[in-house]
Amino acid sequence: MRRDMKTGGHGLLGWVAGISLSVIVLVPFVFIVLQAIFPDLGRGSFAAPLVHLGRTVADPRLLHLTGNTLTLGLGVMLGCVAIGVPLAVARALFRVPFALVWDVLFLVPFMIPPYIATLGWILSMQPRGYLQQLTGINLGPLLFSVPGMVLIMSLNLFPVVYFALSRTIEAVGTRYGDVGRVFGARPVRAFFRVTLPLAMPGLAASLLLVFALAIEEYGTPAALGSRFGFQVLVTGIENRISDWPIDLPGAAILSLLLVGLSLVAFLIQRRILAGRNYDTVSGKPQAREKRALGALALPVTAAFALVAFLATGLPILAILATALSKTISGGLKPSNLGLQNFVEVFANTGGALQALVNSLSLGIATALLAGGLGAITAYAVVKGHGRGRLALDMLAMLPSALPGVVVAVGMILAWNQPWLPVTPYNTPLILLIAYCCILLPQPVRYASAAFQQIGDNLEAAARVAGARPFTVFRRIMLPLVLPSLITSMLLVFAVASRELVASLLVAPVGMMTIAGFIWRQFEQGSVGLGMTMSFIAIVLTTLIPMLLIAALRRIAGGRFTGLH
Amino acid sequence: MRAFTAAMGLALALGASLMASPAMADITVYSAGPGGLIDKLAKGYTEKTGVKVNVFQATTGKIMARIESEAANPVVDVLISASWDTASDFAKRGWLVAYASPNAAMVPDFLKNDTAVAQGISALGIAWNPASGTPRPTEWADLAKPAYKDLVTLPDPAQSGASFELVAALQAKNGWGLFKDLAANGAIVAGANAEALNPVMQGAKAAVFGAVDYISLAAKAKGESIDVIFPASGTVIAPRPMMILKWSKQPDASKAFIDYVLSDEGQKAVAATYLMPARSDVKANRPLISDLKILPVDAAAVYGTRDTTLAEFAKLLAK
Repeated sequence: MRRDMKTGGHGLLGWVAGISLSVIVLVPFVFIVLQAIFPDLGRGSFAAPLVHLGRTVADPRLLHLTGNTLTLGLGVMLGCVAIGVPLAVARALFRVPFALVWDVLFLVPFMIPPYIATLGWILSMQPRGYLQQLTGINLGPLLFSVPGMVLIMSLNLFPVVYFALSRTIEAVGTRYGDVGRVFGARPVRAFFRVTLPLAMPGLAASLLLVFALAIEEYGTPAALGSRFGFQVLVTGIENRISDWPIDLPGAAILSLLLVGLSLVAFLIQRRILAGRNYDTVSGKPQAREKRALGALALPVTAAFALVAFLATGLPILAILATALSKTISGGLKPSNLGLQNFVEVFANTGGALQALVNSLSLGIATALLAGGLGAITAYAVVKGHGRGRLALDMLAMLPSALPGVVVAVGMILAWNQPWLPVTPYNTPLILLIAYCCILLPQPVRYASAAFQQIGDNLEAAARVAGARPFTVFRRIMLPLVLPSLITSMLLVFAVASRELVASLLVAPVGMMTIAGFIWRQFEQGSVGLGMTMSFIAIVLTTLIPMLLIAALRRIAGGRFTGLH
Repeated sequence: MRAFTAAMGLALALGASLMASPAMADITVYSAGPGGLIDKLAKGYTEKTGVKVNVFQATTGKIMARIESEAANPVVDVLISASWDTASDFAKRGWLVAYASPNAAMVPDFLKNDTAVAQGISALGIAWNPASGTPRPTEWADLAKPAYKDLVTLPDPAQSGASFELVAALQAKNGWGLFKDLAANGAIVAGANAEALNPVMQGAKAAVFGAVDYISLAAKAKGESIDVIFPASGTVIAPRPMMILKWSKQPDASKAFIDYVLSDEGQKAVAATYLMPARSDVKANRPLISDLKILPVDAAAVYGTRDTTLAEFAKLLAK
């Protein structure tokens, strides 16, 4: 009874989170570990354990792959800091012209599948690419290099940092910095000593996510890295499953190594944040006054415009140019441009329309489920007590370190057991579970960072006033983290709508998804048709959330604060 | 909160509405690309027999990963792979049903055995962009000449069974010299088949060394500036085996599916994708096996040394 008083009713939510995460994350993960140990697990046999370990670990390329993976992960992290932090600070503390426009444009990179964005870059920058066709400049050598790859991945991932940090600094507000200034600190000093440190949870959480996403990313390293011999762990894993003879245990072992890297990053992040207090949302009314930029307005706007062009404009234009081209070899000549590919998609060639409907429904279902579960999990982790919290937090982090293809294999191994009375396998539900597993870290990270800033006294006050724990969660906590949560749910929707690797492997027979359709077209050499589908998917995954938010703001008025 | 509960409810409802298991009388076919072909074959078969076909299409590797993971509780009835080696391996595991389709009479003997028969055949060639400003290559060795400096891509043999067989066959014939010359001439390994072809279509590169022919031929038919050249010194072919799995609960419907693919109608659909039809009496709008010189590939030997061949290749081309 005493313990129950102390946990203050977080217990129930903790149990909900724990059980859901066990089903969605832990079960497939356990099967991956078993697969790493028992090579014939798929046939239901536990014979010959660990015969693969020696061969996989003794591979001299393994160290090399790990080194490349770390280089890429850290490089992309630094790239995202360099691009995302200054923009986020400017956005949070100052009145940036066209702020809402930049927010929307910075959301778009989430909607562009990384391998499509990279293909857009390749089509633009390679010799005789669009850039050279239009201007005569050939930037191929820059593109096909490690710095080029880091830059492109940073441009694709920096919005993670931008949105998390700008929201966190906004929540910190200028108030604490102003207190510093009252005590005599100059603006820059007040920012670096007060505001930025208070925003650390958001920054650290988003950087961790960037690192995990960068080392787990397949599309860009596969498309770009292979051109200059830069292989990472994920491409190593994919190679083991990309042709006969396939090596599932080897892929599982490499995945566990990848998980290890992410867990180390995760523990470092926890250590940095441990033992400090980041409560800034205390229930006292706050003025949300932002300062004017003054003379800096023009350069700051120019910086926002440049990043928006590179991260969103250029890939989209390249995708659109390819979609409008009748043939790739025809180039950007008026005679070679037309709407033929769009006509084919809307004529439902190859099941294009079913693919759109399937993926968009799955995306919405995943966003709602992962968002709800993410909020509960983050609440239990941040505000709960007891030993289970670290386990829960690690469990919620795990999938971001697992390559999609490995999650897929784990799902099949787990859910296709003959003794299961009912199974989601071979129904579309398996895709919903797989997407939730892969994407759960996003809402958990965003919501945790937001919960960390909410002072405990708010909750205590509500309890004193007689609210029950669940009421506190939904009336006090949920509304306060809603802006962060909604942002992450949009991200989940976008990524789930176009997820490629897991979709390809666990999709139930006969079910087509957007990514599956695009992949089929590329595989058949119909790049134009694939790019057309990508373009339509990007437009839809951008428009649907925007309309949703507009509708929510209309209904809820000022109470809805997501993406303001 | 009502909104929150409603949202979770909606998520579950959406998920539940997606729950729809394939009915029992259907057959399930796992097939390697091209995607349009298997859709067409499935549709034609259903029209003929009334039996529904559930299709799962992916790369050969992904399909095999799925079958390996599912092996404790398999669902696939018919498998169409892009690599004959899978048929040999599955036969060795005792996973296949022996079947000789009456429609396979005109399929040459080297494209069938007790448990597998070819659906169609692809060959590897040089895919060359005539607008690239380079002379038309006729031989593999041409691509190591200065005219093609930095302008050649190769599909990764680690990701494509056919490319691996080409590398193994050429290496068995002439040693590693040609690949050393290619590397010195700036040739690059660019992912799987499609990734090797794309830069050639746009003109960033001039030629693919060992492109899968039907993809390039289909691209050419769409108006892309691409030619496929089969070197007179020889190339390799990749017959695409069809097989019935022993755990199939619908063996008769599965056999009927194989019969349909080997029927006139089925083989015409195969030919329409620019694959070579398996039956020698079905016409196709492309060079056929009899027009090509085929390099000998001793499957047991080359697959026995696959790892060392791939490692040597990777070292030479600095992958």
